[in-house]
Amino acid sequence: MPRSRRFTSLVATGLAATLMLAACGGGTEDEGGPDAEGRTSLDMWVFAELHETFYEQMTEQWNKKNPDRPVDLNVTVYPYDDMHNKLQLAVNSGEGLPDLVDIEVNQFSNFVGEGGKSPLSDLTKAAEPYKDDIVQARLDLYTRDGVIRGFPTHVGAFVAFYNTPLLEKAGIDYKKIKTWQDFEDAGVAYNKATGRAFGVASTGVNMVENLIVAQLGGSLFAEDGSVAVDSPEVVEALELEQGMQEAGAISTIPGGSPDAEEAYGAINDGKYAAIVYPAWYTSRFVDYMPDLKGDIAIAPAPVVDNPEVATIGGGGTGTAVPEASPNKEFAQEFLAFAKLSPEANVAVWEVLGFDPVNMSVWKDKKVTHNPDNRYNKYFQTNLFDVLNKVKGDIGHFESFTNPNLPAVDDQFTTVTYTEIFENGVPPKEALAQAQSDLENQIGE
Amino acid sequence: MARTEMARTATESSQTSSPSADVQRSRPVRAVRREPTAGPGRLKGLLYNQRLAPYLFIAPFVITLLAFWMVPLARTFQMSMQDVQFGQATFIGTDNYERLWNDRIFWKALFNSTRYMVLTIALLIPIPLVLAALLNSKIGSPRVKAVFKSSMFVPALTSIVVAGIIFRLMFAETESGLMNQVMGIVGAGPVRWLRHDTSGLIALLMLAMWRYTGVNILYFLAGMQSIPSELYEAASIDGATRVQQFFNVTIPNLKPTIVYVTTISIYGGLAMFLESFMLYAGNNSPNNQGLTVIGYLYRRGIEENDLGFASAVGVVLLVIIMAINLTYLTATGTFKKEDAR
Amino acid sequence: MSAERSARAQYTLPRGLHAAVQTGFLVVITLIVLVPLLGIFLGTFQDGNEIIRKGISLDIDFGSLSLDNYVMLFTDSGLYFRWFANTIVVTAVQVAGTLLVSSFVAYGFAMYNFRGKNALFISVLVLMTVPFEIMMLPLFVMVNDVGLADSYSAIVFPFLAASVTIFFFRQYFLGIPKDLLEAARVDGVTEFGIFFKVVLPISKPAIAAMAILNGMVIWNNFLWPLLVLRSAEKFLLPIGLNTLLTPHANNYELLIIGSFFSLLPVLVLFLVFQRFFVAGMTAGALKG
Repeated sequence: MPRSRRFTSLVATGLAATLMLAACGGGTEDEGGPDAEGRTSLDMWVFAELHETFYEQMTEQWNKKNPDRPVDLNVTVYPYDDMHNKLQLAVNSGEGLPDLVDIEVNQFSNFVGEGGKSPLSDLTKAAEPYKDDIVQARLDLYTRDGVIRGFPTHVGAFVAFYNTPLLEKAGIDYKKIKTWQDFEDAGVAYNKATGRAFGVASTGVNMVENLIVAQLGGSLFAEDGSVAVDSPEVVEALELEQGMQEAGAISTIPGGSPDAEEAYGAINDGKYAAIVYPAWYTSRFVDYMPDLKGDIAIAPAPVVDNPEVATIGGGGTGTAVPEASPNKEFAQEFLAFAKLSPEANVAVWEVLGFDPVNMSVWKDKKVTHNPDNRYNKYFQTNLFDVLNKVKGDIGHFESFTNPNLPAVDDQFTTVTYTEIFENGVPPKEALAQAQSDLENQIGE
Repeated sequence: MARTEMARTATESSQTSSPSADVQRSRPVRAVRREPTAGPGRLKGLLYNQRLAPYLFIAPFVITLLAFWMVPLARTFQMSMQDVQFGQATFIGTDNYERLWNDRIFWKALFNSTRYMVLTIALLIPIPLVLAALLNSKIGSPRVKAVFKSSMFVPALTSIVVAGIIFRLMFAETESGLMNQVMGIVGAGPVRWLRHDTSGLIALLMLAMWRYTGVNILYFLAGMQSIPSELYEAASIDGATRVQQFFNVTIPNLKPTIVYVTTISIYGGLAMFLESFMLYAGNNSPNNQGLTVIGYLYRRGIEENDLGFASAVGVVLLVIIMAINLTYLTATGTFKKEDAR
Repeated sequence: MSAERSARAQYTLPRGLHAAVQTGFLVVITLIVLVPLLGIFLGTFQDGNEIIRKGISLDIDFGSLSLDNYVMLFTDSGLYFRWFANTIVVTAVQVAGTLLVSSFVAYGFAMYNFRGKNALFISVLVLMTVPFEIMMLPLFVMVNDVGLADSYSAIVFPFLAASVTIFFFRQYFLGIPKDLLEAARVDGVTEFGIFFKVVLPISKPAIAAMAILNGMVIWNNFLWPLLVLRSAEKFLLPIGLNTLLTPHANNYELLIIGSFFSLLPVLVLFLVFQRFFVAGMTAGALKG
C-alpha cells in the first residue's frame, strides 16, 4: 500500500538523519605533531577579535623565520564570559582543550589551584631566551608558586587620557595635573564651567581602584592570602573616589565603564573629558572613537601623596598552553616567540597599540616614534614618552595573583561599586558587606 | 469454533480477510492470534504480541527518563554534597547547604525569582483571560480579531536572544532610547532603566508580557471555545450581564485551563533565567537585581566552577517547585481526576 | 421575560459603539506589540554601532538609512549562513525525530493497559513541571563524560521523548476509537504496523500542531546548545548571534540584521500554518 510505504520511508529517513547527525557530531581526536609537510596545526581560543589579528600576524612571521617548521594556527573568537566558561568546562572534563588559550588576568587564578596544581603547562623554560628584557612585574602576574603559567600581552601601565580641546575651553591645563587632588580640582572646575562630566566612576570594572590601593601601598588580601577588602587602604581609595564623585569631578558612565560600547559613544560625543585607564585603551580610541582624532593627549596617571608606586599594570591577558595539548612543547616555543620576542613586541605596539612587555622595544625610537604608526597619528603625545617617564616605577600589585581575585572582582563589579557610586552607600559599609559576602562565598 | 477459525485465517493470509459479516456485527471482535512457538515465526510473533507491544512503545520514554532525568537527578543530589574541582570530587556532607543558608546573594536570587513568579502570574493570567473573552465574544470584526491573535503570538516566536537584545536596546539609558522617548512624551526625564531595581523590574516584566500574553490568550481561547454556548444562553435568559456571565460561566468552566496555565507559570517563573540574562547582557546585573535562582546556579556552576554548590542550589529549587506544584495541584483536585483514568 | 431583557439592555453600550471601541482597543494593542519588531526592522537600515550606543529609537534620521547592512549580510557575513544552515538542519531533524518518538510513546500510553502505566504517566506529568535548567548541570557533566561534547547528538537525544509532546499526542490518540485498531489486528497488521499505517495517517492535525510548536521551540533553542557546542562552525543561530554581543567582536551590524533574519523562518512557518496550529491546540489540549 503506497501510503504505508511512504510512512515507512519517512520513518527510515528520520532515523537515518538522526543517526547521521550523531555521526557528524563528536569531535575528532588530535594526535599532535607535524603532518607530512612538517606543518603543525594548533588550535587557539581568544576572546578579542583584535588578538586574532595579532596572532595571525605572528604566525606569518614565525613561518618566515622557520620555514622548516611552519604553523597552521586556527583561532576561534568567543565572547569573554563564554570562552572562560568553556575553558573551565574543558579543564574539568579533560576533553576538548585547545593548544593555546588567552586567559584574562582576572580569571587566571581559576586555572591554578591549591599548591600549584594546574591544567596549564610550565612555560618557564620557553621564556628563557627572552626573560631578561621583559617587565618582571608582568611575568610575575602569571607566575604561581614560582612557575610561569602564562605569557603577558602587554604592560598595561595606567596612564591618563585627556581631551585637550575640551579642557582648554574650560581653562584647564592637563599638564598641571599630578596628584589625585589636582585631578579632583580640575574636575570640579571643568564640571562647573561646562556642566559635563570630567572623569569616570566605573561600576562595571575593577580598575582604577586597584591603582589607588597600590599607590597607597595596600592590598585586597591579607598577609596570609585571605580576603581583606575592608582593609584601611581599600576604604581610603574608595572614599577618595566617592569624594570626587560627590564633588562633581567624576560621574558614572553609560555601559558601566569606559570599556563598553555605550561608553565609547558617550566619550566620542565629548561627554567625558578625562579617562584614567591602562595604556591599552589606546586601541579603543583608535578603533571606536574616530571623532576624537588629534584631540587626545596621554599623560602619567595621577598619584596619591607619597605613593608607593607611580603606576601599575592594569588588565591583561595571559596566554597559556594547556598541559593536555598534544603539541605542548612546540606550542610553548611558538608562544614565547609570539609574545616575548622583540619582533612580537613591535607587533604588539603596531597592531594592537599596547605597551609591549619587552622593554628593548621602548628604547627603539624608530618603532616608538614612527610617524606612520596609526596610534602615533591619533594621539597628540607619544605613548612611550609617557611610559619612559614612569619606567622604573611600575609596581606589581600582589593582589592580582591571589587565587580569590575572581571572586573579589565579581563582587565588586556586581554589587559593591553599584552600591557606592549609584546608591551613595558609604564605602566602609559597602566594603564590610562585601567582606562578609566573600567570606561566605569562599567558605572561609 | 468460530474464533479459532478466524484466528487461523488471520495469521495465514496476508490479505484482508473478511470474517462472516454476522459474527462481526454481533459482538466486538477480539482477535486472538495464535503465536507460533518456534522458529523464525516466533520473532515475528513478537511484533503481534499485544502484551509486549506497549512496553516497546513506551521504551524510548523510559530510557529517556532513566538516562537523561533520573541519572542526572541522582548526580545532582550527589554533587550537592561534594566539593568538585578540576574533575575531582570530595565528599563534604551538608557543607554546601549550610553555606547556601547563610548566603545573602542566594536569598536575594530567591527573592527575585519569587517576586517575578508572583508578578507574572498576576499579570499573565487575568489580562490574557479578559482579552480572550473579548476575542471569544460575538462582537467585533473577526478579521481584526484574527490579526490581533496572530500579532500577539508572534513575540513568542522570537528567540530569547533576539528578544533580549531588542528590549535591552529599547530600554537604553540614553535619552534617545525608545522607552526614554516615551517618557519624554509624558514629560518625565530619561530613566536609567537597567541600573535601578524597580525600573529594571518593569523592563523585565514588559519583556515577559510581550512574549507570553499571546500564548496565554491562545490557551484560554482554546479552552473557552469548548464551552457549550447553551450555558451562556441559559445564563442570559436568567438575566445575567456579560460581565456576570464571564465570572459565573466562563471562569468555572475554564478551571482546568487556568490550573494548567498557572502551573506552567509557577515553575516558569521560579526557573526563569534567560530573560533576565539577555536583558542584562550577562549574569552581572547591578547589585544582582536581575539575578534569579537559576542565574545563581549558572554563575556558581558554570562561571565559577563550583559544581557542588551549584548542585545544592538546583536541589533546593527543585524541592521548592515540587512542593508548590504538588500543593497547588492537589488543592485544585487534579490528581483525583488522573487516577480515575 | 422581555422586560428583563430590555432592562439588561440598558446596561450595555449600543452594539455598534461597543464593537468600535473594542476594535480600536485591539488595534492599539496590536500596534504596541509590534513596535519592538518594527524597531529592529528599522535597525537593519542603520549603523550598528549607533544603535548599540544610543538604543533602538523611532526617532530616525531617514537620510542616514541605507542598505549597507543587507549588502554586508550577503557578501561578508562570516559564519552567519553556516549557523543558519546548521539551525535548519538540526531543527528539521530534531522535529522529525521528536514527532516520531513522542507519538510512538504516546501511542503506547493511550492505546494499551499495562502494569505501571499510571505510575509512568504520572512521571510524564511530573517531568513536565521540572525545569530543564535544574538538570542542565549534571546532564552537561554526563555529556562530557561520555565524550559527546560539541556534538549535535547531545543536543537532540535527551529531548526526543518530550513530555509536552507525549502528553499532547496521548490526548489526541485517546479520541481515536479502538475499533479501528481491532479491525487492523484482525487484518493481520502488527502492533507497530497499526501505529504507522492506521493511526499516524489520521493524526495529521496533531502532527501539524506539534510540528509547529516543536519547530518554534527548537529553532530558538539557546541554553542547552550553548553549553554543549564549542566549535564556531557548529554553532546554531541564537548562539552565534550571542557571540556578536560584545565590543570585541566588532560586528554589531551583523548582530542586528542577523537577529532580524533569524526571525523570518519561524514567522513564515507560523503565518502559513497557523490554522493547523490553533486547530491542533484546540483539538488535543487542555481538558485537564
